[in-house]
Amino acid sequence: MTSTLSDSKDGRFQGHFAELLKVEGKLALREPAGLVMGIGFPIILLVIFGIIGIAVPGNVAGTGHTVLDIYVPVIMVVGLISLGISSLPVTLVRYREMGWLRRVSTTPTPPSRLLAAQLTLNLLLALATILIVIFGSELVFGATLNVGIPYFVLSIVLSISVMFSLGLVVAALAPSQTIASALSGGLFFLSLFLSGLWIQPSTVGGPLATIMYYSPSGAAAQALLYSVFNAAPPVTAVATMVVYTGFFAFIATRYFRWE
Amino acid sequence: MSRTQISDSLESLHRESDPVVTVQHLVKRYGQFVAVNDVSFSIKEGEIFGIIGPNGAGKTTAVECISGLRVPDSGSINIHGLSPLKDRNVIRGFLGVQLQESTMPPRLKVGEALRLFASFHPNPADPNGLLETLGISHVKNSTYKKLSGGQKQRLSIALALVGNPKIAILDELTTGLDPEARRETWALIESIRDHGATVILVTHFMDEAERLCDRLALINHGKLIALDTPEAIAAQAGGKRVRFVPSKPVDDKTMYAIPGVKEIERKEAYVTVIGAGDLVASVIDSLTRIGVHVSDIEARGGNLDDAFVKLTRDDTSKVQERPQS
Repeated sequence: MTSTLSDSKDGRFQGHFAELLKVEGKLALREPAGLVMGIGFPIILLVIFGIIGIAVPGNVAGTGHTVLDIYVPVIMVVGLISLGISSLPVTLVRYREMGWLRRVSTTPTPPSRLLAAQLTLNLLLALATILIVIFGSELVFGATLNVGIPYFVLSIVLSISVMFSLGLVVAALAPSQTIASALSGGLFFLSLFLSGLWIQPSTVGGPLATIMYYSPSGAAAQALLYSVFNAAPPVTAVATMVVYTGFFAFIATRYFRWE
Repeated sequence: MSRTQISDSLESLHRESDPVVTVQHLVKRYGQFVAVNDVSFSIKEGEIFGIIGPNGAGKTTAVECISGLRVPDSGSINIHGLSPLKDRNVIRGFLGVQLQESTMPPRLKVGEALRLFASFHPNPADPNGLLETLGISHVKNSTYKKLSGGQKQRLSIALALVGNPKIAILDELTTGLDPEARRETWALIESIRDHGATVILVTHFMDEAERLCDRLALINHGKLIALDTPEAIAAQAGGKRVRFVPSKPVDDKTMYAIPGVKEIERKEAYVTVIGAGDLVASVIDSLTRIGVHVSDIEARGGNLDDAFVKLTRDDTSKVQERPQS
């Protein structure tokens, strides 16, 4: 009893993060909708574009690259959109709605650890998706990438930050699971479009291309496109993601409720 | 209660000196609605303290303030000399809370949930032992959504107890349980108390409060209307009750003239008189004298249920109707 009191006084007990992460991982496997969207959807796109790349060997707009090469960054962004905008906030809002976060908040371990476990889990899934897309496109479908590691790491870190922080904004603002699903569903398709999944900004041109380049998912796809061909990501894309991440993080931390 | 007079008085002497929870002039509003209105009580170490009242009376709000989940508008709460708001981190270490209407991820397994909550505490109880005690070790590998209502409640209690709390708050924990499961849960609550913990039990079941609680706070419309042992509150029901069927109608005036009668209730052919003294004899005596025969006589002392109905009714007639939350 006394030791409990003194333990908590020195600094709040933080629980055992590994146990929490393990449980969240098991739950994700038992309700695999998030996994299917986060990893499955990019794999399906990879196979589709991989087959197109092989069937129509090509030279997109005289760049010397195949359709697959050009789409690899977009496919990665699609994975991040699925995990960050769909999976993460819907799970968090559901936990809040069912009183799970509140129940955790009655224990010595703060409920923010549960949020941290969800973020970590989705981060691990995001990294898995990225590795699958990179190695799958190169080894299985013969994509000719030239990944510039420092550029790529910078672009990936910013892309994950911007997509996950947007997801946390949904988690913070949606009062119920139904609204969270609707909100994240809308943002999901909007982000897919802006990332260039249906049509690339370079093909569109004009003001729409500008909008795409300055959107969170469009900036992410652009930065990744440069870095998989060993070029420094454009300053505008980097700045766009930094500004959005800061803004989203501010909104999310300001409005997030535990109950 | 089952304990002897002597140990009872010794224990109460010891307890008197040591309130673990002190609530003073607690007020909590939700907008215009006053959920808890100037409630004060103190809870002694090692007792089962009941907070009873009709639905929407403010019971849950009161315990949520104690557990630090809600911020009171005014008044003070003191738990072992600590404040639920300022010292919430310390208090969480020894306060176990079982929340009303809180569910869990549907595919979380019983064993996993308990191990997880054990990991949230610095000095947890053995999860397997706790599952055993609560009689849910056989569903250890079942997911939450497959559990029966009773099993869900027991898991919920287990999560509140896994941190070895000194004080356990249990909110409406037998609601939705079948009679057998309720009795088993009662035995469990007594065993928690026997292990030295103080239990704060929120309930709207009078039989539960009467059976388990050492002392009760009766709350109605956010106000404390009684604070005493279940026996003492039951005594406020107005003493003895004699119910009978008269052979022909007897008016109220005649009834009140019978020695000892203080109140009359009528239901169909039955008349119930509430009062003191040798009530059965005086009813039969007085009525026989005016040629009324009395049959189906049933006499008993007032119980908590009667007191509850009486006290909340008296209170409601005084207080203006308020919207329920």
